[in-house]
Amino acid sequence: MIEFSDVSKRYPNGQDALRNVSFEIADGEMAFLTGHSGAGKSTMLKLICLMERATSGQVVVNNKNLNRTSRRKIPGVRRNIGMIFQDHRLLFDRSVFDNVALPLMIAGYPHREIGRRVRAALDKVGLLSKEKHSPIMLSGGEQQRVGIARAVVNKPPLLLADEPTGNLDPKLSGEIMHLFEQFNQVGVSLLIASHDLSLIAQMHYRTLVMKEGRLVEDQADAPEPDDSIGLDSYNEQSDHTKSGDHYE
Amino acid sequence: MSSEQLSGASLSQTTISARLKMLSRLHKIEAKRGLMEIIVNPFSNFMTILVIAIALALPSGLQILLENGKTLSSNWDGASRISLYLKTELKETKLHALANLVRETKGVEKVDVITQEEALADFKERSGFADAIAQLDANPLPPVLVVQPKATHTSPQASELLLAEFKTHPEVELAQLDLDWVRKLYALLQLAEKAASALGLALALAVLLIVGNTIRLSVQNRREEIEVVKLVGATDAFIRRPFLYTGFWYGLFAGITCWLLLNISILWLSDPVAKLAGLYQSQFEIAGLSFIQSIQLIAISCGLGLLGSWLSVGRHIRLIEPH
Repeated sequence: MIEFSDVSKRYPNGQDALRNVSFEIADGEMAFLTGHSGAGKSTMLKLICLMERATSGQVVVNNKNLNRTSRRKIPGVRRNIGMIFQDHRLLFDRSVFDNVALPLMIAGYPHREIGRRVRAALDKVGLLSKEKHSPIMLSGGEQQRVGIARAVVNKPPLLLADEPTGNLDPKLSGEIMHLFEQFNQVGVSLLIASHDLSLIAQMHYRTLVMKEGRLVEDQADAPEPDDSIGLDSYNEQSDHTKSGDHYE
Repeated sequence: MSSEQLSGASLSQTTISARLKMLSRLHKIEAKRGLMEIIVNPFSNFMTILVIAIALALPSGLQILLENGKTLSSNWDGASRISLYLKTELKETKLHALANLVRETKGVEKVDVITQEEALADFKERSGFADAIAQLDANPLPPVLVVQPKATHTSPQASELLLAEFKTHPEVELAQLDLDWVRKLYALLQLAEKAASALGLALALAVLLIVGNTIRLSVQNRREEIEVVKLVGATDAFIRRPFLYTGFWYGLFAGITCWLLLNISILWLSDPVAKLAGLYQSQFEIAGLSFIQSIQLIAISCGLGLLGSWLSVGRHIRLIEPH
């Protein structure tokens, strides 16, 4: 599903966000991506959905070589990737229904099909009763679930999530992760960037660990929270690395 | 990967007619959204629309005036006469002989003879100096031949030729084209028409810039939304659509406003014009925009709105990339 071969990314300001990263995620696999702020997690996700281009190396997603994807083909690539963001990225001037319907409208689905699929997706995340609400009336956890419904509504084969539980309490985070597992069970590939190590540890999935732009560990099961990049050390270092946040 | 998941690419399964139906539905939604954008913010949008309407009303108003000026001058042009002022000592018999000679000239429709006596009587009546004129020993007014050229000989060149020919008669003191000034007006109108076209072009450009700038601001206001729809796979065409509709609505409303402005102005001018025309014993009335011209005006306005937003939106949504 995702294949990185010796991929490097250098931003115009000279910062090396990724250095010679190689890995592969199989069809139907679910994996976590972890590391400090600025370690390159977000850059990796951005390369997969073509928000950025690799400086060198090769990125293949869904059997498509993204190095050779022209600007005009980018929408087609993104329609096959469901994206979930920490800040949800919902449109507050539209109803929950319209937010979830957006990918289908863009892809030109027939009207009846849109209604059916949106309600199925909202039902899946338990928000069917709130389809007419404005997202602003919902709690943070509910907003994130609307974001997830939007990401899965056109049934993409791949879901990317960038700190999906970043603003949620442990109970809500657990619920979101459980949703992801359900998607994985029906064959969706998932790559979830998160620094919530205790949560990742509970899940027992493959975990990729990034450090200063390099892939330093690739474990079949999650590392324990008291690992070298554990929560404590993250909290200590976060102040130093905050400045590089937006290149992450 | 399960077969259900592969249906993510099921787009190809939907029929073309269903897709077309969805596209027309989308257009309806976007048209409505573009319209709402204008309606929810009536004040600033009304200002924009008014500015565009005024920019359009200036050249079209000028065009209307010129059209009217042209009909006015062409009416008089057809009646352009040549007056031959003859020497005062000319005998009446010779006067009629000359009149017949002139009548034979090629291109002459008819000739009216005004004798010295008739001229004096007419002058007395019109000038109100009857008493003063009665004091005069001799009649100072010359006999006049009023030559009406044929319709084929009213062009400036033909008139000049006739005039030159009449001047060769020794009895003719002075030959004058009565409505010379109409020709000058006509030439002036042609000049003004060129100027109006240039003004029209300049103001059309201004309309493009106004719409373009308004759309640019609108794109920037919706930056976040554009980023989100780009992330879920929107093409540039999809993102462009509501802005194009907004531009189109601007054009439509501005066109209608401009039409109203013009008609109100014509209504406002019609009374004084009728009075002025009455002074010249004329039934002249300002002709406003015909139905076809009104449609043309609004169509041009819509076109400019659409073009302005097209030129602006493509460039500006390209610059917005999700981060």
